[in-house]
Amino acid sequence: MNVDDAVKAGMASATPGHVPKIIVRNLKKIFVNPETGAEVVAIENLNLTIHDREFVAIVGPSGCGKSTFLYLLAGFEPITSGSIAMDGVDITGPGPDRGIVFQEFVLYPWRTVLRNITLGLEIRKMPRSEAGDRARKWIRLTGLSGFENAYPATLSGGMKQRVAIARALAYDPEVLLLDEPFGALDVQTKNYMIGDLQNLWQEANKTILLVTHSVSEAIRMADRIVVFRARPSCVIQDEKIDVLHPRDPLDPRLIEYQRKITRVLSAEVDKAMRREHEAKG
Amino acid sequence: MRRIRPIISIGLPLLLWEFTSRMGWINNFLFPPPLAIAQAIWLQVGPYGNPPYAVLFHVLRSMVRILAGIGLALAIGCIVGLLIGLTRWGNAIFKPIISIIVPVPTLAWTPVLLLIFGIDDRTTITVVFIAASLTIIYNVVAGAEMLGARVFWVIQSMGASPWQIFYKLIIPGIFPYLITGLKLGIGFAWRALIAAEMLAASSYGLGFMIFDATQYLSMDIIFGGMLLIALSGYLLEHVILGRVEAVTIKRWGVQVER
Repeated sequence: MNVDDAVKAGMASATPGHVPKIIVRNLKKIFVNPETGAEVVAIENLNLTIHDREFVAIVGPSGCGKSTFLYLLAGFEPITSGSIAMDGVDITGPGPDRGIVFQEFVLYPWRTVLRNITLGLEIRKMPRSEAGDRARKWIRLTGLSGFENAYPATLSGGMKQRVAIARALAYDPEVLLLDEPFGALDVQTKNYMIGDLQNLWQEANKTILLVTHSVSEAIRMADRIVVFRARPSCVIQDEKIDVLHPRDPLDPRLIEYQRKITRVLSAEVDKAMRREHEAKG
Repeated sequence: MRRIRPIISIGLPLLLWEFTSRMGWINNFLFPPPLAIAQAIWLQVGPYGNPPYAVLFHVLRSMVRILAGIGLALAIGCIVGLLIGLTRWGNAIFKPIISIIVPVPTLAWTPVLLLIFGIDDRTTITVVFIAASLTIIYNVVAGAEMLGARVFWVIQSMGASPWQIFYKLIIPGIFPYLITGLKLGIGFAWRALIAAEMLAASSYGLGFMIFDATQYLSMDIIFGGMLLIALSGYLLEHVILGRVEAVTIKRWGVQVER
């Protein structure tokens, strides 16, 4: 069950490259209420460069637009103006080069764990046996061995999220997008998963973007933490976390980073809360 | 122990009926004893019935009509339901039409259909179609609306073609709702069919059998016919569809999670 053992055999050292992978320029996103015509500017003047095989965490106050940003990257929502380009090509819609993991898992309940994971491979028309082998590899790496034929309804939250992660990684997208993946899990499960999956990210060797409201979560996993300001959001802090994996949560360097980032984040959260308060009158 | 309860709750009144009828304590012309009813029906099942094998033909005819109507309702109901639930234009075009048709009791269509088709199987099959397709559409729409954007996003991020999305997501996604719609639809359709068979006074069919028996004051055939109707309906709605429903729900878990 231990992911560590499974990965130690052939762990690729994944040092993030310095080749830009995703370039975001002057991004703006406005939501228009179809009935009232009211406009909400979610994102404005956002500029960000994400490098190949970097693990970037995005933190920000609730409702600031970090999930929106992820959905724009994923191609689920159209951008209002500006550009998002991956490998020089503008993003126009969803595609197999970007995998997604949602907070609410979103597994297909009529499929077993194995078949949920092979979904992306079936779409690619991969022969069944090959798809099965590939899926089994990711089942092992995410610690799901033994649960291949279980249906999602019988799984705990933590297991469901592992399935969702394995599903997103199985078809080998270049970029993995995670939208508050541990948000629906209790603290104990979350802490366990973060520790257990640390080696998974190394093995996956991908560009990873993690959206979270938890700085401690980001500190443990990311190479770089980007702080979004309150709506309309843009980048207000960009911090490289220069600590080797596996990381000890009690490492003083990590604690220092956490303090630094939390200070900036708290100020933004205050601003966002105050604005909501004022809006309510 | 639990199986005995329905036997007792149905059997006891039957026993009472048998006894009071044979004793003449209740009007045994209006209420012939159950055993006599069974005998009369059994006679009609066999070659000495009038016409020979009458009951078999009646049951068969009703069955053919309901299956034909259900088949049509399933095909068209799914298509329309999906169009309403998944496309904006489908919703705009079909929903108003359906909303106007729904309040009309299915049976009220019979006179119109009689005038169009005459005393013909097409009348009764169309009645079945109307009853079943409306129910199926309603449930398929509910199922499609339950899907939500994210299940689509998941499969789109895998680079799925629209056809792949249809048979890997939409079909299995709405399946339990479809089954529920089918189960309810068959129930409504069966009841509407029997009534239509009585109104349309066609030849053969359980509804017709009862209606016809009224002319000859054959109370035993009437009651027997009602029993057959009840049994057939129960078979269709609960035994056959009930099994399919149980298997589907068991696999998905009691709560379908998105």
